This record gives sequence, structure tokens and C-alpha cells, in this order.
Amino acid sequence: MDIKRKLYFTLPPILVLIIFLLVWSGFSNFIYADMAFLLPSPLIVVQSFISNFGDIFDAAMMTLSEALSGFLLAISIGITSAAIMSQSKLLERSFYPYAILLQTVPVVAVAPLIVLWFGFDERSVIIISLIISLFPIINNTLLGLKSTSINLVELFQMHNSSRFVNFFKLRLPAATPHIIAGMRISAGLSVIGAIVGEFIIGSGNSNGGLGVQVIYAQGRLETALLFALILTATLVGFLFFITVSTLGHQLLRHWHESEIA
Amino acid sequence: MTISVSGVTKHFNGGVHALSPLNLQIDTGEFITVVGPSGCGKSTLLRIIAGLIDPTDGSVNKPDTSMGAFVFQDAALLPWRNVQKNAELLMELEDGFSKKERVTKALEVLKQVGLEGFEKSYPHQLSGGMKMRLSLARALVLRPDYLLLDEPLSAVDELTREVLQEEIHTLWKFTKFTAILVTHNVTEAVYLSNRVVVLSPRPGKITHIVDIPFKERDRKLRSSPKFAKLVGEISGKLRNGH
Repeated sequence: MDIKRKLYFTLPPILVLIIFLLVWSGFSNFIYADMAFLLPSPLIVVQSFISNFGDIFDAAMMTLSEALSGFLLAISIGITSAAIMSQSKLLERSFYPYAILLQTVPVVAVAPLIVLWFGFDERSVIIISLIISLFPIINNTLLGLKSTSINLVELFQMHNSSRFVNFFKLRLPAATPHIIAGMRISAGLSVIGAIVGEFIIGSGNSNGGLGVQVIYAQGRLETALLFALILTATLVGFLFFITVSTLGHQLLRHWHESEIA
Repeated sequence: MTISVSGVTKHFNGGVHALSPLNLQIDTGEFITVVGPSGCGKSTLLRIIAGLIDPTDGSVNKPDTSMGAFVFQDAALLPWRNVQKNAELLMELEDGFSKKERVTKALEVLKQVGLEGFEKSYPHQLSGGMKMRLSLARALVLRPDYLLLDEPLSAVDELTREVLQEEIHTLWKFTKFTAILVTHNVTEAVYLSNRVVVLSPRPGKITHIVDIPFKERDRKLRSSPKFAKLVGEISGKLRNGH
């Protein structure tokens, strides 16, 4: 019965994948057979993945480390600035509009400027990743810090708790579900940010992260490699998301409605 | 531990006039209940006595050294703390309790309210009645001079409510705190209090103060004619309170 239930949930998406791969193979082997560089078949993509595994792995590790740095910076800067803004309406009104600009600025357009300022290396990539993943953290943390139940605030007030105690024993733990929601959005964004950053610095180096390799593979019309790289980049983002989700689950599983089975 | 409320009024910023000049003296060890129609300002009065909000006019006097505790309508527990850690909370906020003392006192008070064995549970695993027990335990562990109860039993079912009323009565009898309860349940008011204060609709002012003379408060009291008569009398006053 249990196995039946498991099959019931896992079989349909696997079937969809198989059908998708078959259709894809059909297209590339029969319809676009004479233009294999446009649409290499899945088998060739896998072959390219295996034969280039060493390079792809190194590139993925590089992108991962850049995205992780950007993400961790976004968490610390984001939570700190939301914490400061949550302490006074005046501070919030003064700084929040500029936090929104972080979200609306077209990162692709700003990236070249960042590279001019910080150089054609990892540092620029990390900063671009930071910029793109910062806003969801600021926004969600601030919302969480401001949504503490009024009764709990009164309870703490009744027992003369200081601003400091109020923040660490009440507002911050109450905001964790919101902070984690923000982190889940930013996890994927930080990887995208890192790859955008690599695109911009790309032309200079040949042994950079996934973004650099993508530009390189495109330039040489190695479409199969391009596919393998895209797949890897997607997986890296997914891995990030899953890690953050698991961490969030561990933190919230005892008490928050979203995680209580 | 006399608490005196003198000439207290409250106008909220939006222009709502919540309380008319209100005078009330609450004696040490007394159990006093404020009843009134919804929105008459009884919760506002309780928060003014607690010092959580300031009155527009008038003042509340209580001894400087007195310790108060507030029990909220929805129990107001910290969902991320287990039962024992919730019971320790107020001892962390108030100075002067060592870590060891907090644990000992928390376990002791949890036993007192019948939550022994649930120390490591989380609030979402408790029933409404158990949450309220924990909320009471958290307040009583401080040995407060006065306890302010804001409709604490309005969210539990009828049966649990009666059991909890009896438990609150026992706790009050043995730990001797001054209690001010706000409720719209007249039976509850008569069962628990020495005096019942009836407020008029907004802006709330005192229309009657009724003495409740019962010495023994047990289950039999609820079905006695004199109990029913007092409940009826106060309900009548509540209805014609303006």
C-alpha cells in the first residue's frame, strides 16, 4: 500500500519527463537532424556533460561560492538594515524607499558599472549577487519584525523589558518565518545574480564560473555543452533553495503553522 | 496593596470616548470583576490599571513596589518556546531569578496548574484550556501582588470554563493575590468575585457595584437559588445600564 502511494506521487512527473525527453530526441534526430548545433539530442547533452565533467564541476563550484558569499552578505546586511528600520518609523520612512530601488534597478544595466568599480573578478560577481538578493530579505524581515502580536508586545511592556530584550526574545524569533520566506526567494536569486555577474566579466577569463563557461560555449557553438551548463546552473540554484528550505524547516518545525504536519 | 482608580477618563485619538470619569478602590486580596457590554471600555480600564496605556485624565495609584501580571484573552504564549520555557519567560524579563530558580519555579507552578508531563510540549499541541492554564502559570510564578485578567476564559468551551473558574478560585484562595477580572459572563463574575462592578455602554461609567456575599464557592453554589438570583439581578442591571 505504501509503495503504491509512493508510486502514485512519483510516477506522473517521471512519466512527463520521459515523454519530454522522447519528444526532444525525436525533434533533434529527425526534424533538425541537419542542424544539430541548434538542438542536440539529450543523449549528446549527457555525453558532453560527462566528457566535460571536470570543467563543469570547477565552474559550478566557483559560481556556488560566489553565490553563497553574495547570499550570506545579503542575509547579514538585509537583517541588520531591517532591524535598524524596525526601531523607528522615521528611519523606516527615510531608508525604505531606497531599499525598493534595489529591487527596481535593472541589475544587468548596473553590472558593468560594478565591474568598472570593483574589477573583473569574483568581487564584482559577489556584489552583483548581493544586490539582486538583498531586497527580499530586507522586505520580509521588516514585515516580520513589525507583525509581532500586540498582546505579546504588551506582555513584554508590562514587565519592563528593554528594547534589546524585546528585539531578541520577542520580535526576532517572531519574525523567523518571514525571514526564512525572504531567504527562500533570495537563494535562487543569488545564483542568478552570480551568473549575470559572470556574464559581464566573462569575456576576460576563460576559467571562470558557469556564466563565463556559457559565454565561452556559445562563442564556439558548443550547444550540447551549453545545455549541460544551463542544466548545472539550474541544479545549483535548486540545491541552494532546498538547503535553505531544509534549514527553515528545522527552525520552524516545532511551532510555525507552515511547517507543522 | 490597595489600588485606587481616581477620576480616570479615556479619549482615543480617533475621537472615541471610551471611559467617563471613573472612581474605584480595590482592596488587598480582593477579587473584583468588571462586567459591561461589548465596547464599553472595560478592557481599556484594565490596561490603564496595568499601566499599559495612559488615561486621558485622572490617575491610578498602586504601591511602587507592587508586582502585577496580566493574563490575556488569547493566552499570548510564545509559540517557539515549549511549555516550560514559556513558564520561565516572565522570570527572565524581571530581574533577580537565577537560571536554577527559574527552572525549579516553572516546574513547580506547572504542576500546580496540572500541566505536569507537558513541559516539553509546544503551545500548538495544547488545547485551549491548557493554553490558558499555562498563561495563568506564567503569571502566577512571579507571585504577583495583583493579577489582571482580560476575558481569559472567553475562548474555551463551557465545561472547561467551569473547571477553570474553580481552579482560578482555588489559586486565588491559596496564593492570596488581588484580582481584577474583566468579563461579559455574569455567572463567571458572580462565581469568582467579592464585588461585581457594572459598567454602562460607551463611554463606560460605573452604574452599580454589587457585593457578592458567598463564603464557600463550590460546585453546589452554581445551582443554588441565591446564586441564580444574584446572576439574574446583575444581568438585569447590565441590560438597563444606561
